[in-house]
Amino acid sequence: MISKTDIEDLARLARLDLSETEKEALIKDFEGILEYVGQVAAVSGDVNQKPIPPLRNVMRDDALYGADVPTTGKQEALLAALPKREGDYAVVRKIIQKEA
Amino acid sequence: MESSLATLTITEAAKKLAAKEITSLELCRACLIEIEKNNKSLNAYLEVFADVEEQAKAADARRAQDEREGNVSHPLLGIPVATKDNILIEGRHASSASKMLENYVASFDATVITKLKAAGVVFMGRTNMDEFAMGGSTENSAYGPTKNPFDHTRVAGGSSGGSAAALASGMALGTFGSDTGGSIREPASFCGLVGLKPTYGAVSRSGVMAMGSSLDQIGPFGRTVEDTELLFDTIRGKDALDGTSIDAGFYPKREPTKKIGVPRHLLANGVDQDVLAAFEESLKVLQSQGYVAVDIELPSAGLALAIYYIIMPAESSTNLARFDGVRYGLSIKGETLAEDYAKSRGAGFGPEVRRRIMLGTYVLSSGYYDAYYGKATLAREKLRKEYADVLATVDAVAVPTVPTPAFAIGEKAADPLSMYLADIFTVTANLTGNPAISVPMGTVVRGDKTLPVGIQFTAAHGDEDTLFKLGKIATGESK
Repeated sequence: MISKTDIEDLARLARLDLSETEKEALIKDFEGILEYVGQVAAVSGDVNQKPIPPLRNVMRDDALYGADVPTTGKQEALLAALPKREGDYAVVRKIIQKEA
Repeated sequence: MESSLATLTITEAAKKLAAKEITSLELCRACLIEIEKNNKSLNAYLEVFADVEEQAKAADARRAQDEREGNVSHPLLGIPVATKDNILIEGRHASSASKMLENYVASFDATVITKLKAAGVVFMGRTNMDEFAMGGSTENSAYGPTKNPFDHTRVAGGSSGGSAAALASGMALGTFGSDTGGSIREPASFCGLVGLKPTYGAVSRSGVMAMGSSLDQIGPFGRTVEDTELLFDTIRGKDALDGTSIDAGFYPKREPTKKIGVPRHLLANGVDQDVLAAFEESLKVLQSQGYVAVDIELPSAGLALAIYYIIMPAESSTNLARFDGVRYGLSIKGETLAEDYAKSRGAGFGPEVRRRIMLGTYVLSSGYYDAYYGKATLAREKLRKEYADVLATVDAVAVPTVPTPAFAIGEKAADPLSMYLADIFTVTANLTGNPAISVPMGTVVRGDKTLPVGIQFTAAHGDEDTLFKLGKIATGESK
């Protein structure tokens, strides 16, 4: 039903490093789970004409970044959580790299 | 659990505190003694805070000040409570029981914490859970499973298993969890407690780690319905920091019908006979108080679990995309940026979380989106409509919270689907947004152990009052 290549494609999309054992286990898990959740196929209706759920937009007035924002004044705490920092900067990897 | 101050209900303790028969310090020390005795074997707390006594002394000082200034103290002032490890308390660790956040320190208070601080509770510690709230047994914690206080070979339930076990064993007087598919109600059922999943939006989720954002709610565990109601009243309400939050009066009041809907067609198969017998007994108690049990049909309810295990992984995989090893959490370097992500996430997330991220990625991928997520969304709307129609004719829908009592540790570990099936009666309220409560409905005997089981009531949106009323009747708190 689902192949090892499928699992590897999904893992790449999900940015997950998986061991070979786990890939094999997931093939089996997926089989059971997808068969079960596949029951929804029986539901009638066109998925392109979904009923509109009773939701509405929640708007608020524009406000200055300030008192009611929970992280205001928490700069140091946020910086302290960085895996790697230099002063007040986060150290991140260079994205553009030389071709190998 | 021997009788001590630690076994009081919040209501009883609040009275004693107000009458100056006891102090918060004595109360918290009684809980600390239970923690000392039980936590090693139960693994309910991941961390017990070092400043519990200081917090209790501060609460006692505040009570004295309230008295001097003629103010009425909040009923939760000085009450020892515990919160699940996915709720942020500024300056304290919050790990969601994951290796990903092992060293993470919260930079702000969740809104529920702000409200509890204003009330003056004492925070005892952070409780164990399934990693990122994914699971129904707390076996998926990166820090070992929580055991059931009634039988240490069984699970406490999950994902808020630590909060349930801590309360059931006298390690706090009230606790909080999160409920995405039953994570408060299922452990409440397994541990003989009251557990409430409020109406979607009733409690702000600011500062709570997101799992399935259209499903998640924060809620309390109590030893009584009265305690649970008090805890809920303290944390509820609209919050500018959570756009999905609503005020108490958001939904119109409804007239009671004195009818309880029972979907018999869902109980015909797969429910343990002893659980079913306890359920019938519980219904009789309600009938003796003038309620009529009527058969109802919820044709789409049989699909609820299938819908849930599409929607929830889809939303979870999206929410967990934020863990990239760049801003916070575990960071492992590879050769490239893509490798940094994959290594950090592969090592930081446990097996069940990885499984759900993979499932979520699958059901959202372009070739399968319509067949899974699209159909699940359609079915969810049908289910919501069916519940709304039924709840226009009855006060609440009643089912056993879980089809079985607590299962053995390891019993379902090898088969994820069998574990998911424990959620069959609880996921519906998350899909429809209705409030639901689990209250104790008696016990069943397994070997030489007596295990509690719970009954679940689901009411119309915003109608928690009916849940409390029915819960009090079912448990004998009110007649």
